[in-house]
Amino acid sequence: MNQPLSVSTLGAQAVDVDIRSVDLSYGTNHVLKGIDLHIRPGEFFAFLGPSGCGKTTLLRLIAGFNRADGGEVLVGGREVSHLPPWKRDVGMVFQSYALWPHMSVKRNVAFGLEERKVPRAEIERRVAAALELVGLAHLADRRPSQLSGGQQQRVAVARTIAIEPKVLLLDEPLSNLDAKMRVQVRRELRDLQQRLGLTTIFVTHDQEEANTICDRIAVMNDGAVQQVGSPMELYEKPANLFVASFLGTANIVPGRVIEEGGARLFEIDAGVRLPIPAHVTVLEGAKLVFRPQHASLGADGARDVSLPGTVLHSEFLGSTVRYGVKVGSAEVSIDVPFQSGEAIHKPGAAVEVGLSLNSAVWLAS
Amino acid sequence: MADATTAGRAHAPSGPFRHFMTSATPGQLALALAITVFLALFLIIPVGTVIYVAFTEKGTGTFTLVNFVDFARTDLFIRSFWNSVYVSAMSVVLASIFALPLAYITTRFDFRGAMLIQTLGFLPLIMPPFVGAVAMLLLFGRNGTVNLLLNDWFGFRIPFMEGLNGVIFVQAVHYFPFILINLSAALRNIDRAMEEAAQNLGCSGFRLFRRIVFPLAMPGYIAGASLVFVKVFDDLATPLLLNVKDMLAPQAYLRVTSIGIADPMGYVISVVLIVMSILAMWVSARAMRGKDYATVQRGGGGLARRQMRPWESVAAYAAVFLILLLVLAPHIGLLLLSFATIWSFSPLPDGFTLAHYGRVFGESFVYVKNTLIYASLAGLIDVVLGTAIAYLVLRTKLIGRQWLDWAATAALAIPGVVLGIGYLRTFYGVQLPDGTPLATLWIVIVLALAIRRLPYALRACYAALQQISVSLEEAAENLGATKVRTVRRIVLPLMAGGILAGFVTSFATAAVELSATLMLVQSNADAPLAYGLYVFMQSAAGRGPGAALGVIAVLLVALCTFASHLIIEKSQKAKGAGH
Amino acid sequence: MPRHYAAAAALIGAALFTGVAFAQTGKVTVVTSFSKDVTDPFKQAFEKAHPGVTLDVQNRNTNAGVKYLEETKANNQVDLFWASAPDAFEVLKGKGLLEAYKPKAEGIPDKIGSYPINDPAGFYSGFAASGYGIMWNERYAKANELPEPKDWQDLAKAVYFDHVAMAAPSRSGTTHLTIETILQGEGWEKGWRTLKEVSGNFRQITERSFGVPEAVNSGQVGFGIVIDFFAFSSQASGFPVKFVYPTVTTIVPANVAVVANAPNKAGAQAFVDYLISPAGQEVLLEPSIRRLPVNPAVYDKAPADYPNPFKDPSLGARVKFDVEVSEKRSNVVDVLYDQTVTFQLDALKAATKAIHDAEAALAKKDNAEARALVSEARDLVAAMPITAEQAASPEITGAFTGGKEKGARQAELEQQWSAFAKERYAQAQAKAEEVLKRAR
Repeated sequence: MNQPLSVSTLGAQAVDVDIRSVDLSYGTNHVLKGIDLHIRPGEFFAFLGPSGCGKTTLLRLIAGFNRADGGEVLVGGREVSHLPPWKRDVGMVFQSYALWPHMSVKRNVAFGLEERKVPRAEIERRVAAALELVGLAHLADRRPSQLSGGQQQRVAVARTIAIEPKVLLLDEPLSNLDAKMRVQVRRELRDLQQRLGLTTIFVTHDQEEANTICDRIAVMNDGAVQQVGSPMELYEKPANLFVASFLGTANIVPGRVIEEGGARLFEIDAGVRLPIPAHVTVLEGAKLVFRPQHASLGADGARDVSLPGTVLHSEFLGSTVRYGVKVGSAEVSIDVPFQSGEAIHKPGAAVEVGLSLNSAVWLAS
Repeated sequence: MADATTAGRAHAPSGPFRHFMTSATPGQLALALAITVFLALFLIIPVGTVIYVAFTEKGTGTFTLVNFVDFARTDLFIRSFWNSVYVSAMSVVLASIFALPLAYITTRFDFRGAMLIQTLGFLPLIMPPFVGAVAMLLLFGRNGTVNLLLNDWFGFRIPFMEGLNGVIFVQAVHYFPFILINLSAALRNIDRAMEEAAQNLGCSGFRLFRRIVFPLAMPGYIAGASLVFVKVFDDLATPLLLNVKDMLAPQAYLRVTSIGIADPMGYVISVVLIVMSILAMWVSARAMRGKDYATVQRGGGGLARRQMRPWESVAAYAAVFLILLLVLAPHIGLLLLSFATIWSFSPLPDGFTLAHYGRVFGESFVYVKNTLIYASLAGLIDVVLGTAIAYLVLRTKLIGRQWLDWAATAALAIPGVVLGIGYLRTFYGVQLPDGTPLATLWIVIVLALAIRRLPYALRACYAALQQISVSLEEAAENLGATKVRTVRRIVLPLMAGGILAGFVTSFATAAVELSATLMLVQSNADAPLAYGLYVFMQSAAGRGPGAALGVIAVLLVALCTFASHLIIEKSQKAKGAGH
Repeated sequence: MPRHYAAAAALIGAALFTGVAFAQTGKVTVVTSFSKDVTDPFKQAFEKAHPGVTLDVQNRNTNAGVKYLEETKANNQVDLFWASAPDAFEVLKGKGLLEAYKPKAEGIPDKIGSYPINDPAGFYSGFAASGYGIMWNERYAKANELPEPKDWQDLAKAVYFDHVAMAAPSRSGTTHLTIETILQGEGWEKGWRTLKEVSGNFRQITERSFGVPEAVNSGQVGFGIVIDFFAFSSQASGFPVKFVYPTVTTIVPANVAVVANAPNKAGAQAFVDYLISPAGQEVLLEPSIRRLPVNPAVYDKAPADYPNPFKDPSLGARVKFDVEVSEKRSNVVDVLYDQTVTFQLDALKAATKAIHDAEAALAKKDNAEARALVSEARDLVAAMPITAEQAASPEITGAFTGGKEKGARQAELEQQWSAFAKERYAQAQAKAEEVLKRAR
């Protein structure tokens, strides 16, 4: 009876979104600088970046709420830049959910279908299906104000997918939920997206959210795309210092490149230096970047380089211990797996910092 | 609740007062008592001394309801009643047609001149008595500018000002700012995401307004519409100036002021007016219950305004211009009249002159001074009372607090002349040490104005307080502020915009009020502008000078209004920047 | 304590002193319905003639003025009441709110036209006379091709339908006198017939006396039944209006009276004397005032075309105006007019229009039977619910004064009378329409 939205048909219709050299300024404020992105059909894609980086502006531009000064947006190969929001067929879930308080849940969900002059029986069926899909069929007659935050969020999603949009846009959909709900809802979103096979763009400032549910991520900063890639690519091979520091914890150590006896060395401070592998190019002003877990303390031996350091502080995190260690004038974090019975280095203790060179990179800002 | 314990410890009440303490502090109780005494002294007792006649039997003076039976049996009154209901309802409809586009365009879109339009849209409320209707007749009457031209060019006339239609037209123009002001406030508070979500789902244009924006702004609209309904229902000046007598308020006035006739029906009608007004306010309060959506939400799209596309801009400017032209017609006519030599049966005056301004220039100074003093004092009293009543009603659990609200609101329905006579009756017997009666002091005019305009200020203060979250006050109390200090440091600053709006409405409308004033003005030296205007408008030679005085009154009030709008805008910007 | 006492004493002393000072400088407070155009010249002239005396003018319409004196009698602060309508003075006199005073002026006749100038009991004195007539807007008349009226009956002609205005007699003492003049001049039944035939042509019945000249001046209405000075002062202001006294009219005085318990009785009497003195009477000739002096000698100083009721016998002398009759039934006449005309104007106009149309049709193709029907229709319109005797009977007049005796309530009578008129207007309209139908 309650036949869910036909997953296979929707999946087959999945379209791509092509953003070509989009520019946008508010007065002297250059908000989007020549954005080029290609989002593949059926992909769960994230715009990730700090607040003010332009990610929401870009999303609203796809939905039609902002107009670009230059460039174009193609949805399924069709130029949509000139279309008003109500003709674009891109569903958007708002950060605040924007559920209309004067309508019941059912009326909220039916709204878009009514606007499309869908026959009444069809509306009934699709509203029921959409609510079923988000598990709220039993609350159809409630008012939004009578629902919890998580339920409201699901109504907002149901309202959007009921119109079977070509693309689903999610604007920080989890930010108004508490931590526990967030984990649950993001799994539901991922699950739903998988079942519908719907091209989805997700805006967030939370890298963990992006990592856990997205196929690919565009990291944005200062109105420009910094890097596009899968969560793992971004983590492993950040393109620049911003990406490295924004995704996970990274040690960023300044220094300078010197030549000694034909070999290139990276000097952090007088006397504290390490060799640069031959295949690595290091640009002027680049800094050494490595993750805390890619370094070790003491005579592990398995590391390529060892540098002298002094323990500043330590934090016990359960499975690991995170040390703050001073190496030369720089301060780095180093995660050491915790083994029961092992003593923890006290602040002030002199230690050897071991580093494996193939997991370290040199990045310019 | 927390404050009750602290206060209880300090003052340790005992005996019969103890059970109040669960609901109010002694300070709140004292405040409620003070307001009750004020309202009793300056509203309930004076009005009571006049309208009790409605309940007495002819000859014996004993209590009876037979006069109300007479009311129901008299065709004229029943006809008047339904005419009043019809005119009020249609005025609300027409006023909405004026107000909706102005409010929508200026609040939801990025529209240059929005503040100017809001100010201009407020002007019709400041229509000085007599001259407004005279100007309207000169423009829209059977032989007014528009109809003379229509008749010359096309050979037909449009009966704008005939009978009930004329009353509806003039009343809608006069009172539509009530809807504009309240609706604009409500529209400003709607999160932009509410509209965008609908657009995203395929909704646009008028459907967007009808299905999403208007329902969300409903509380503001109802507040404004009910005010328009009640004001039109109770207004007697406009129908009388247009020679429409079969409406309730004019009937009451005609009967109350007939010389040599002692007829209770005028007071019976006054009672009916008061009951109807309270009923209308009650119905609107019921309709609003549960609809007060806090629509600005955390992390929403904010209140940013939409951009218009070029053709939309053109259409919007055209619509705004047309509406403003229509609703400002009385003022345009007034301006023409003030410069006119002779304006009689012609589309435009025969010639123009500055002589009228010359004539009133010397005399108007004392009127201007008096008007400023009276209206600002009245406005001040109104916002103090309005804030206090709003606070007691919304923030305390005092038994019967709602009655303060009802009583103050009932003032809306009391014909000015009834209040004027009541004041004379109540205060003329009270003498000052030198033998002058209390009622001859100008302060009595101020009190009458304050009582007449209290409902406006009260509604504004009420709305302002309603929008402030209780948690803000709780936070202050939690940090050690007493109730009084919390009110002073948190509540009042946050209410400032609403209080100022209330002050402006009270001030502006009090500045052109006549009906109560006319009874109470004791000498020319104490007279406000409206009275001076009335005196001029009683003679053929006084029409021009009267209009000039009217223009001065409008300019004066408009300047004050514009200044307050600037202040409101600034304070809102300051608040906006803070978050 | 002693200091407080001294301060209080000083305060009371100061209050007393200012009280005395007021008496010396002589502030004379006058409540008046006259406009600034009238009061300002008098104020200036009077203050010039009596240095140190100020005239404080409180402008109220006649009704509000009477109400005001009534409500404040317990502690009266007003010295003079100064207005047009004699009936307002009668009401005040009846309530004991006036004080008798005989002005010192000489050469004032007993009567102007057929109306006594002063109250026989001496409670109020006439200072200027005014007559009623028809005022019209020339531009309006020209544009609508309307002839100039000469008499009340002219206004009943079909051509004036929807072109005439008058103030309600219940609202305007002067209009009340016009009505009463017609009723006394033509008799109760014929008088009401004339009134209703004229009223059937009304465009509006205004609530203020000044509403009529205002409507005529601005051209909203063509013709108005007004008191002469409204027309004269409008002409003086430059409005394109004309005025005529009809044959049945009366010239009645505008009055001034000293209020009972006046705070400044001497000042009040001085003002009354001044008004009636030759100097005061001359002020009446000013273009913005244009009222008829009660001192015949002053007319020598008036412009040549100034109407002079003492010389021109057509002005008001034809009607013998009986003040007593007028007084007795004044409320009844007002309420009768309101209930059968003012509040039934639409029905009356519809009937009148139908009769006009029927008569126009008859003029083309006469028919005795139809003529009888029209005559019946006219009788129906003219019919009144009560006779002249009933109108003056205590059973009916008592209903309007709130008398202590039990009797008919005003509202009951009003409902009866309006129902009476409404029913007959509908019947009249039906008959006239019947004629029209047959004529086709």
